[in-house]
Amino acid sequence: MRGMTASFTKSLAAVAIAAGLAWPSLAQAQEDTIKIGILHSLSGTMAISETTLKDAMLMLIDEQNKKGGVLGRKLEAVVVDPASNWPLFAEKARDLISKDKVAAVFGCWTSVSRKSVLPVFEELDNILFYPVQYEGEESQRNVFYTGAAPNQQAIPAVDYLMSEEGGSVKRWVLAGTDYVYPQTTNKILEAYLKSKGVAAEDIMINYTPFGHSDWQTIVTDIKNFGSAGKKTAVVSTINGDANVPFYKELANQGIKAEDIPVIAFSVGEEELAGLDTAPLVGHLAAWNYFQSVDTDANAEFIEKWRAFTKNDKRVTNDPMEAHYIGFNMWVKAVEKAGTTEPDKVIDAMIGVSVPNLSGGYSAMMPNHHITKPVLIGEIQEDGQFETVWQTPGLVPGDEWSDYLPDSKELIADWRAPMSCGNFNVATGKCGGKGVN
Amino acid sequence: MITRFLAGGLERRINILLAILVAAAVLVPVLHLAVPASSPLHMPTYVVALVGKYLTYALLALALDLVWGFCGILSLGHAAFFALGGYAMGMYLMRQIGARSVYGNPDLPDFMVFLNWKELPWFWHGFDHFWFAMLMVMAVPGLLAFVFGWFAFRSRITGVYLSIITQALTYALMLAFFRNNMGFGGNNGLTDFKDILGFNIQADATRSALFAASALALALGVLVTSALVRSKYGKLLIAARDAESRMRFLGYRPENIKLFAFTLSAVMAGIAGALYVPQVGIINPGEFAPANSIEVVVWTAVGGRGTIIGPIIGALLVNGGKSWFTGALPELWLFALGALFIATTLFLPKGIVGAWEEWWKQRRERDGRAPMMSARNPIESPAE
Amino acid sequence: MPVLRIFRLIFILIAVMAGPARADDAALRTMLNGLANADGFAAIEKIVGDIAATGDPKAERALGALSSGDLYVRKADKTVLIGKSKTGGYVLSDPLTGDVAGEAKRSEVEKIKVNNTLRRVVREALGGLTLASVDPRARLNAAETIFKSGDPHAIPTLDAAIARETDPAVKERLMEARASATLKAQAPVAETTAALETIAGRGDREALSLLKSYEAGAQGELKDAAGAAIAKIEQTLALWAAGQNVWYGISLGSVLLLAAVGLAITFGVMGVINMAHGEMVMIGAYTTFVVQDLIRQYSPDLFDWSLPIALPLAFLVSAGVGLIIERGIIRFLYGRPLETLLATWGVSLVLQQTVRSLFGPTNREVGNPSWMSGAFQLGELTITWNRLWIVVFALIVFALLLYVLNRTALGLQMRAVTQNRRMASSMGIRTPWIDAMTFALGSGIAGIAGVALSQIDNVSPDLGQGYIIDSFMVVVFGGVGNLWGTLVGAFTLGVLNKFLEPYAGAVLGKIAVLILIILFIQKRPRGLFALKGRAVEA
Repeated sequence: MRGMTASFTKSLAAVAIAAGLAWPSLAQAQEDTIKIGILHSLSGTMAISETTLKDAMLMLIDEQNKKGGVLGRKLEAVVVDPASNWPLFAEKARDLISKDKVAAVFGCWTSVSRKSVLPVFEELDNILFYPVQYEGEESQRNVFYTGAAPNQQAIPAVDYLMSEEGGSVKRWVLAGTDYVYPQTTNKILEAYLKSKGVAAEDIMINYTPFGHSDWQTIVTDIKNFGSAGKKTAVVSTINGDANVPFYKELANQGIKAEDIPVIAFSVGEEELAGLDTAPLVGHLAAWNYFQSVDTDANAEFIEKWRAFTKNDKRVTNDPMEAHYIGFNMWVKAVEKAGTTEPDKVIDAMIGVSVPNLSGGYSAMMPNHHITKPVLIGEIQEDGQFETVWQTPGLVPGDEWSDYLPDSKELIADWRAPMSCGNFNVATGKCGGKGVN
Repeated sequence: MITRFLAGGLERRINILLAILVAAAVLVPVLHLAVPASSPLHMPTYVVALVGKYLTYALLALALDLVWGFCGILSLGHAAFFALGGYAMGMYLMRQIGARSVYGNPDLPDFMVFLNWKELPWFWHGFDHFWFAMLMVMAVPGLLAFVFGWFAFRSRITGVYLSIITQALTYALMLAFFRNNMGFGGNNGLTDFKDILGFNIQADATRSALFAASALALALGVLVTSALVRSKYGKLLIAARDAESRMRFLGYRPENIKLFAFTLSAVMAGIAGALYVPQVGIINPGEFAPANSIEVVVWTAVGGRGTIIGPIIGALLVNGGKSWFTGALPELWLFALGALFIATTLFLPKGIVGAWEEWWKQRRERDGRAPMMSARNPIESPAE
Repeated sequence: MPVLRIFRLIFILIAVMAGPARADDAALRTMLNGLANADGFAAIEKIVGDIAATGDPKAERALGALSSGDLYVRKADKTVLIGKSKTGGYVLSDPLTGDVAGEAKRSEVEKIKVNNTLRRVVREALGGLTLASVDPRARLNAAETIFKSGDPHAIPTLDAAIARETDPAVKERLMEARASATLKAQAPVAETTAALETIAGRGDREALSLLKSYEAGAQGELKDAAGAAIAKIEQTLALWAAGQNVWYGISLGSVLLLAAVGLAITFGVMGVINMAHGEMVMIGAYTTFVVQDLIRQYSPDLFDWSLPIALPLAFLVSAGVGLIIERGIIRFLYGRPLETLLATWGVSLVLQQTVRSLFGPTNREVGNPSWMSGAFQLGELTITWNRLWIVVFALIVFALLLYVLNRTALGLQMRAVTQNRRMASSMGIRTPWIDAMTFALGSGIAGIAGVALSQIDNVSPDLGQGYIIDSFMVVVFGGVGNLWGTLVGAFTLGVLNKFLEPYAGAVLGKIAVLILIILFIQKRPRGLFALKGRAVEA
């Protein structure tokens, strides 16, 4: 090729230019601040849920700085936008850790975004705080799960509905969006219900795509399923966006909570803010926190949040509380370890206990999940939940469900000497279930 | 005379591009692996991963340029071929995890274990072997494109209609792959890869190798495309783009020509997807989203379609911009991207490369050196 | 046990009707005030039972308020009162008489909590209390409540009520309620068979539910009779289910039609691949939100009028934005349809992000006016008012659009310009102005579609994204440039989707529809209603 040699020098320059597109902005991390990464989507489909968490983190960091920061240094938030694009989550996580040298990252919402960044956190050895209720079946050394595991949300919710107080439900519709959290939760619930003597024909499982907006057929199916002469309830793991049309259809078709209650695991105050809740009074949700929780800590939190966002109608929700707990735990662990070095902080995290917003203390357990109370709330006319039932004590998060055949023998314990996320108690080895 | 001059011009440009790509394939690994981290010349891991990813995007844009720029088929579903290639690679990588998965089941990927599947579905067989996976990387997108194109081009579906049904295709595939029952991991897709051909996927050397492979694949794509469009067949392609009916009256079969280009382009996209997956570490149905395919069209349009080099420049520029904006000015990213689309179509209808060519031509004309332009540049963008 | 309680209640009810010995107000009041000290739902339930047992219709107001969560305890004197919230506090009223009893700050009262079980208990108690009400609707509801609970002790009261009843519809319900109670009463075979027949005659889901639970516990002849009745009802219901699918299909079709009809103008008539179409719909929905928000703030009485007010505004706002887009961008791109795709995609991103910055990324609440809430029964079809209105609205919009295109000067000029721009121009038509007006019209129609869609879907910045692909499918399937094609296309796809959904599930149903469209386009590359003639090749 003629131009090959002649253009070699040119090409060298061009490589430099091409690479320069992404070359680090050699600005070194300022020595006097500790950087905290915030990895929540600000655009795309998940922005609707995640933007709030970004604001909550900014507020928490702001508050901490007013108290003098951590270890005598101020905190600095580094906000990036992974734009609801899963590979971009991994790219941004890498940026935050290698380029911005953050001490910890608070972020992710969907399971897939967490799965996407996991290898990055493992490789670069940093810390991720994951604030959303999820399907469990995971425990990773670099991740702290401050949201609910299935046993901190789904199982108590079903227990409540089976109790006399909850209406002695005998027939169940498990309706969810077709992704991993509902699939796993429903698998767990199905096994649990069967262990409680519910017959297979009294369980109906239904999956819909993301953003499903035409619920006429499914709501009718639920109504028909509920007319078999047994008390029926719907357990909804329907994801955020699809909920508004679902509840609108429910209300219009006249399904009353007294007849067929719907208990949701993904509907919080934020989701209800887009709805007229008057026809939905009595439908339920299970969380670890409600804005309506009547404690001083919560009142103060809400007040600060509204002042921070300059909106006196802004609502709070469960994942925000999870970040509140996670952030305070991190601060405490850093103070305990005397350094922000992730390796040391990870070890210091276990056993750290901080106040939660519902009047108790949440502690970080060796499996990197936390202890939480479980609250069942009924929707009120003002778009809030009213707690109608509460676990007597705190429930520790169970990462490997006892109701799934492949995970009941697994446990996680990140303390030395075990330091394992999938320890098999049957074989006494780290590394999963192995061959059956 | 003129055509030879232009062809010479084209060749020089392509040669420079090829030289850059080959040089990058050699230099970047060296800078990454051999230069100590303290040196300013050291290439950090995240830059290698990032630029490597951009290069696979560039190959995808080039694949689109082949059908859109040269053949007039605006596919709004090219990301589907990219994703299918990616899934084929992802399946191979999943099989390589073996007993290191969280459940430690050597026979089944994790997502099948927790969905209580007892055995591997038939379509997963064979993906233990690299050669088979590589075959599928090309065969699956190629076959889909062939079947789809065979029907569509024979029915003489053109223009907007074709664009819309390619969009329907990728949308339907996205919905299908989102289903957990399909056996492709549902929304979470395939992830948690450990190694490729026995090498740790997170190791610096593997990253460098993947980068080099991407650069070389792109170089190969450029070589094939430019050889193709300069051949007799390339003239037919352009004829099919500019005057399909006239071509048919002259006794040619434009549908066959289009079908070949479409299939080849899908294979290129599949290879790009296969290189993309190990570098980003995840493949999921989001890659099928119609918006992704439209973004590819934008990269191509920004760079300048029908120019080979343009789509590559476009892909690098837009994605570089995306990386920078989403980090530095996250709130402004969509404004910037939207404005870029609008500005490109309004002010740079032929893209950056087209605009630069025009400017160059004008300068030459001003200098009085330019010959009378009577023949059309064979690869100039169509006026439509 | 609710059964026992209702029994007691009915007993007393008869006593009440027989003589003037009315339960004393004071006794009722004492029971009510007992709620102030009730700890837990079980304790409240007991008090509700006691109150219901008095059979005093005066308790109706208090129980109703309890059920809707409007009952409060005044902390100062531990009295139980009804509270209606107002800014900063509550207006209190007496739970028995309804007389105003002053006001209270938020901190001065405590709400009496209710849950679903309690609400059901209250509903049943109220059912007993209102069986003798003067309002026929209340009696009807009471009969329905007893039908569902099937309390055998209610038979004497029901007999009395049936004898007294003059309204035939209510009487029928009462008979059914009695039949339901008979099933649970272990009555003689003949009587039970008659009851089964009465219930089977009702033929709806409630009857089916009742029969199924009866069949599970029955034996021999009666089990067979119940089984036969169930089979009969199920057969009728299967027919209704087909009808239901058609209706759901029409309703989905009307949503598709609304979403697509604006696109049928901008894309179908003008040839602009308008990817920002969905955002025009979104702007219409946000206009509705703003209108409702203003109404809530300044004049809540007008809330039922919010949609009629929002319609013209949404049209104007969306049309205005469309006009700006056409003048600013699209007019430079005529004749390059594929480039309009890129530019309008860019526009859609900018519009989405603008709305996100202005209104925030979260869903905004758009309420249903009262005339769009709830449902009515048509045989066994449940037809929700909002869906019905949307079907009607979609057809009206379609008819108006047809009128504008075919019967007005503007429509004539629009058609002239699309068919032959140069000739139209020579005839003195200001083609740029017509282009702008056409695009604005299409955008405006999308805007009013947004008003309707805000009633059934999320109002969020992503609203438009959810509809854009479906809209294109409808227009392409129906045939570009033909409004009737859009109409037929929308309803065909809607009905098809709804018939596939019960068998294939929502996801596979949708995939099947997409594949069918792709195959259909192979067969008819220009859609259902292709434009004939030379214009096609242009």
